[in-house]
Amino acid sequence: MTVSRRGFLNAAALGTAGTFAADMTRFDVLRQSSWADEVKQQGKRVILLWLAGGASQLETFDPKPGRPTGGPYRAIPTSATGVHISELLPKMAARIQQTTAIVRSLNTKNADHGGGATIMETGRIKDPGIEYPDLGAICAKELGRLDSAVPDYVSMYTSTEGRRKGTSGFLGSRYAPMFLSESMQPENIRRLESISDIDHQDRLVLRDLLAKKFTQNRYSDSLGSQTQAYQRVRGLMASEKLFDIEQEPAETRAKYGPTQFGQQCLIARRLVEAGVPFVKVARAWWDSHGENFETHRELCADLDHSMSVLLDDLKDRGLLENTLVLTFGEFGRTPSINASLGRDHFAAAWSATLSGCGIRGGACFGKTDEDGQKVADGEVGAGDLFATILTALGIDPNKEYHVGARPVPLSDFGAKPIKDVLV
Amino acid sequence: MRFLLRIHLSALCLLTTIVSAGGADLPSADLPIEQVVDQFIHQRLEAEKISPVPQADDANLLRRLMLDVAGRIPTSEEAKGFVANGSATKRVELVDRLMASPDFVWHQRNEFDRMLLPNKPNDGDFRKYLLWAVKENRSWEAMFRDMLVGDESDENRKHALTFTKSRASELDDMLNDTAIIFFGVNVTCAKCHDHPLTPDWKQHHYFGMAAFFSRTYVTKKNLLGERPFGEVKFKSKRKDDTKGEQTAKFEFLTGAVIDEPAVERTDEDKKKIEEVIKAAMQKDDAPPPEKPAFSPREKLVEVALRTEDNRFFARNIVNRVWDRFFGRGLIHPVDQLHAANAPSHPELLDWLTRDLVSHNYDLKRLIRGIVLSQTYSRSSEWSAGSQPPDAALFAVVKVKPLTPRQYSLSLLIAAHNPTQWPALDQAEQWVQRREQLENAANGWAGHFEMPGESFQVAVDEALLFSNSKRIEDEFLRDSGDRLVGHLKTLSDNQQVIDAAVQAICSRLPRDDERATLDEFLKSRTDRMIALRQLVWVLLTGPEMRFSY
Repeated sequence: MTVSRRGFLNAAALGTAGTFAADMTRFDVLRQSSWADEVKQQGKRVILLWLAGGASQLETFDPKPGRPTGGPYRAIPTSATGVHISELLPKMAARIQQTTAIVRSLNTKNADHGGGATIMETGRIKDPGIEYPDLGAICAKELGRLDSAVPDYVSMYTSTEGRRKGTSGFLGSRYAPMFLSESMQPENIRRLESISDIDHQDRLVLRDLLAKKFTQNRYSDSLGSQTQAYQRVRGLMASEKLFDIEQEPAETRAKYGPTQFGQQCLIARRLVEAGVPFVKVARAWWDSHGENFETHRELCADLDHSMSVLLDDLKDRGLLENTLVLTFGEFGRTPSINASLGRDHFAAAWSATLSGCGIRGGACFGKTDEDGQKVADGEVGAGDLFATILTALGIDPNKEYHVGARPVPLSDFGAKPIKDVLV
Repeated sequence: MRFLLRIHLSALCLLTTIVSAGGADLPSADLPIEQVVDQFIHQRLEAEKISPVPQADDANLLRRLMLDVAGRIPTSEEAKGFVANGSATKRVELVDRLMASPDFVWHQRNEFDRMLLPNKPNDGDFRKYLLWAVKENRSWEAMFRDMLVGDESDENRKHALTFTKSRASELDDMLNDTAIIFFGVNVTCAKCHDHPLTPDWKQHHYFGMAAFFSRTYVTKKNLLGERPFGEVKFKSKRKDDTKGEQTAKFEFLTGAVIDEPAVERTDEDKKKIEEVIKAAMQKDDAPPPEKPAFSPREKLVEVALRTEDNRFFARNIVNRVWDRFFGRGLIHPVDQLHAANAPSHPELLDWLTRDLVSHNYDLKRLIRGIVLSQTYSRSSEWSAGSQPPDAALFAVVKVKPLTPRQYSLSLLIAAHNPTQWPALDQAEQWVQRREQLENAANGWAGHFEMPGESFQVAVDEALLFSNSKRIEDEFLRDSGDRLVGHLKTLSDNQQVIDAAVQAICSRLPRDDERATLDEFLKSRTDRMIALRQLVWVLLTGPEMRFSY
């Protein structure tokens, strides 16, 4: 530790140096091996694999082989008795019973990219008078720690995803995502060459010390949030390594493979392992208005591989029982195949999956009709899916936030968890 | 029962309006605004047996006034000059000088901008209109008319319509934003059900407001049009509803209904009109939209301003201006003007509203009165050893986060070489500098969050200040035009500390700060790094981030 070199802090005039030095030790926590164990005991985590553009349920988790809407691919049996999924997902087929529940009866009503995404990000329809937080922000608030040394909501951008940053809405910027817009590394997380590490620490300590005088007799939550934000800087900088997959053994990197999606899944695993409550990884672009079957052959291979490696890795590390892995996008795709061999936007009967934490592996909830045009059984909306997700994480979906005088339940009014997929 | 209660409350509300409109029990209309403000605030403090905190010192008051009225911190010279000035009337003189200065115009424009177009910052045309309106000291009533009814043929006023145009694609946005911003009323939840917390807002209020906007459209050439016909239908989402589908009337929030003169139109006529409108929305060369004989938006403005229904428009802007300066409305939150949410100081709100209406909605007059009050110039420190009293008592001044523009401008000023500002008597030079600063601030404002109700500083902001090259280059470089560049010319630590604290915090350092900072400077071997650190520490401090 470098404390001894920080001359001015030891000056008697300050008297508080000891306290600050003690605070600094917190930053080492990431490197301690017991961290993962602690997460296992307390923290629930979420990794959202966002299928941007809208993946086809027929080529993934709700195949209709032999029907006019079915397309060329077969359905294959999975490890869960009686549950078949598309042959494009053979690795996941082998893992359904152990890890994953499928919901086949989503009707989210909005088949427009923007509107659909808003619904699936926030679990409700856009409401003009209020900015709702998205799932990541809700999880950051409910599962994160206020003084957390790691980010509590990380959202990864991919070149084709359409740059939906996510929003913390009325929860405020404390819960806004750390958004990776340029590269696999967050912005401003690395110290500039022009300042030494000691100077960087020292000026933060001095800043804190002077700020204390000012904040002492002034009462304001906003004021407190600034102190907190600066106190989190060093911790977040220490988490830079979490974004660096070179830190992983070559063998692990090889398992995840060379795709951007695979590598981001590995980063996501590193992040949840270090205590980050919510990570969104996006895979794009599923919007196959033309050549749906070619598109899905390519994208499903990536999804199938990355998702199953991720689930295996989480399981091997004992993290899966506390980590919920979700797959969905803004909507599904039309059962009808258009003249360009494409499928269009479709929100009336599509699928999502939930794996890991709090989820009954092998459960398959809801049914669509023969051709997949309508929900035939167990229709649920985005609100119900959100209530299910929150329940799986041990969060009461009926808990209310208050926006002014207005009560806002975490999941939409009237939403109910899907009990069949929960443990 | 609930129905009866509603009648009762709205009757009461109406009664209050009538009484206050007559002004029977209110203090004389001739009193100075600041005196009336202090009188009512004081009355309630006495009744609650709470002593307010003392007045802020000169340096503190100046900084607050500058941020609130000019949108920026003072330069070192301005700050030193004000503190050294021994005149008993220096505060009034300062306020009058500031309010006549271009600083006020820029800042007032920025404040209007963030209130009126919060989701579309930096719309050049709209900001041009606002700048013109502020320069003219255009009345708030006229601005309201400019934005909702407008005149596409008037060079100065046409861009006011951006307010309506930018929302025209979403009926909900038009009606909600208008109701919230101009009337202080949030009827959002009445879209699906009657408001659960106040009997004031029923579904028909929401759809009544919707009716005023439902015919509005924007053409391909970005001209605002209004259909000559069209109805809004709605249905209650309540399971026990028996009314079925209803047609919304042109109904204002007060319950006043505007009747549309009946016009006979065949389906064929309507089809033709629709085709013309459709063409205008799709083609650049279509003729400009024809103004309909009956314009619902014009009617809305008319009804909202007529004496018997002006229960919201004038009170709302008084409340919003109050909220801007005190960080909390007399009615709080500012979008909850309804019977179940009483003002903290009802007579004061009534008096100020009457004053505004009888002075042609002159917001400058209202602002001047507010910032000259003793209530405004109290300290922000509550050192009584207990939690401060209810914010609605205004016993202590609230700490307010700076807006992105205030913060950006202030950072630019603080980090500048304090000896290089134009002298106070060189007004023209200052106008130029202010414009340059304003442009430079544009480039920074996007980095900071617009403060909302429960504002939090994002960790991204702390990371930006900690590790961004841009921050280092702009605010910490040691060239002659920067604060660090000036500090390096000073050899004595005390001089350095005084100059830095003066430039950034607009005051002299306290003894304990002097000692700490001196200790810090002495412990550094590299002088230049030490100076940079010193400036960084002060620039990132809460004193810089907040108005206090």
